[in-house]
Amino acid sequence: MDGMETAQFSALVIVGLLVFFYGGTFLISTRIGKKEENADGYMTAGNNIGFGISAASMTATWIWASSMYASATSGYTYGISGPIHYGLWGALMILFIYPFGKRIRAVAPKAHTLAEVMYARHGRSSQLMLAGSNIVGSLISLMSNFIAGGVLISLLSPFTFTQGVFAVAAGVLLYTLWSGFRASVLTDFVQVVAMLGAVAVIVPFIFFAADFPAAFETGAGNLTAQQGDFFSSQAFMEQGAPYIAAVLAYAIGNQTIAQRLFAVKESLIKPTFITATVGYGAMVIGVGMLGVLALYLGYEPTGGDLNNIIPGMAAEYLPPVLLALFFIMIVGALSSTADSDLAALSSIVMADVYGQNVAGKEKADPKTMLLVGRITMVVATAVAVAFASLQLNILDLLVFVGALWGALVFPVLASFYWDKVTGRAFTTSVLAALAVFLPVRFGWISVDGFFGIVVDVLSVVGVGVVLGLMAFGFFGVRTAKIVGVVAIVATAPFAIGSLHEYATLCGSLVAYSVSTVICWAMSVRRREGFDFAVIAQRTGDFDDGPEAAAAGTGAGTSDGTDATSAAADDDPQPAGTGTQ
Amino acid sequence: MTTAALTAYVLIWPVLVAVVLVVISRGFLREWLEARRNGEDLI
Repeated sequence: MDGMETAQFSALVIVGLLVFFYGGTFLISTRIGKKEENADGYMTAGNNIGFGISAASMTATWIWASSMYASATSGYTYGISGPIHYGLWGALMILFIYPFGKRIRAVAPKAHTLAEVMYARHGRSSQLMLAGSNIVGSLISLMSNFIAGGVLISLLSPFTFTQGVFAVAAGVLLYTLWSGFRASVLTDFVQVVAMLGAVAVIVPFIFFAADFPAAFETGAGNLTAQQGDFFSSQAFMEQGAPYIAAVLAYAIGNQTIAQRLFAVKESLIKPTFITATVGYGAMVIGVGMLGVLALYLGYEPTGGDLNNIIPGMAAEYLPPVLLALFFIMIVGALSSTADSDLAALSSIVMADVYGQNVAGKEKADPKTMLLVGRITMVVATAVAVAFASLQLNILDLLVFVGALWGALVFPVLASFYWDKVTGRAFTTSVLAALAVFLPVRFGWISVDGFFGIVVDVLSVVGVGVVLGLMAFGFFGVRTAKIVGVVAIVATAPFAIGSLHEYATLCGSLVAYSVSTVICWAMSVRRREGFDFAVIAQRTGDFDDGPEAAAAGTGAGTSDGTDATSAAADDDPQPAGTGTQ
Repeated sequence: MTTAALTAYVLIWPVLVAVVLVVISRGFLREWLEARRNGEDLI
């Protein structure tokens, strides 16, 4: 069964679809384009976006082409629970970070990047850690999405992989370059409508076209006992658990999410995140079900490459019109994430590199900032296209960035709630966590003996940290401590002695535990506290023109006042020197 | 799982997707009309 060899589009059709998609998104972006763009609008759209666009944008950004391929792969590999162990945990992470999002927004109502907030909280080293990890992470994500586009176009048309990569890269840059984040979120809405509409039609169509539900009975013999078990322990340990640990880090550390958090109206954070949770979960799990159907059918993906499951199933069972819709769905998914990465990269270079470190906040020229942002987008696109041709191992790179963000989660979150955390505690804990993560994840030290037990103990503490942080967002510190301790006590008897066999899971967990323990130990004895009001004063608008004032309407603090109106821009005050 | 349960398990997700699509589209439409009424930019 190899549908892709029999259901290709002609060059003309593919060009027509790409012109339709990217031409359409470009035209939409011109509707909001301004001759004189505002620097803050280019980064956060005036902190005043409504529910419809922000929920669509959050959903579209969290879904990238790899999420769909990976969910289907999980369904094909782990059986009926596989898509749940990919999509559900990713979705719940959006939900779990919204209480943190509300706190971050209350502390820094008009910030542009999380790194910028860390600069105001701790100083330069914490800012550079967050900014640096995001530049690497967004470049990898950009490259991954370009690769997905190149692969899709080469699979379904006569064009080559390289031609596909160039077409996607040029298309995304075309509509994002001029208006930046504003164009990204507006086109996200159109893209998410296309994606959701496609899934709502394509999954049921393939289901019935492939002779389901009868195939559930005829194909049951293709599943192992674990694959047929909804409560498969293998699926949880190998897919679900590492993903729970990883996506919390991605959600907290990733600038594409933070940027939308700073852009949405403060009162709409909760409904936006809840809608994105359901939208992401339903879409990714729904597409993942194609992997389950393929498993029941005994489908063999082309070349044994599991990334070919979705394109192969689509080519096998969809008529040309729906295959074109499927093509638009995948191109929409990868483009919406790619434009978010470009917007994130430009904001980091504009705010964190130029705004805070090169020119200084008071002297930063908004026009120069815009130029810097646009040049960043062009350079980032060129770099991502160049790296795409190198065929690097994206998974390894993403694991590395994920671990870096995992090491940052506790220090970043604690910095928003706990006035005792210092810049030195932040930096030391993150570096120490990375130093332990690397040998665990990549097996540089044998885990057969004593080191294995150490890894197990640290991993168990990591389980407590992850679950404790989730509980903390909703229920506060007392419940978080109880949940964390109970999780450690309940996990320890089963985990110590065996958990080190799961290197991916342990790598993430030790990053959490080491950073948490060291950050806590270095901060807990301090007597002085940090005045959080300082952050709002130091993370205001760069562009104080009339448009900025208009755009900023309603984007003040939760009590309606504008926390940045009396902003002063002194050098950042290290934690511990303020008043509380 | 029975065949009926598996069928429901697979097809519930496209239904949820359709519901979210309606919710997001309705929110967008409402904000777009309001922005037009007030003579403001949507973003």
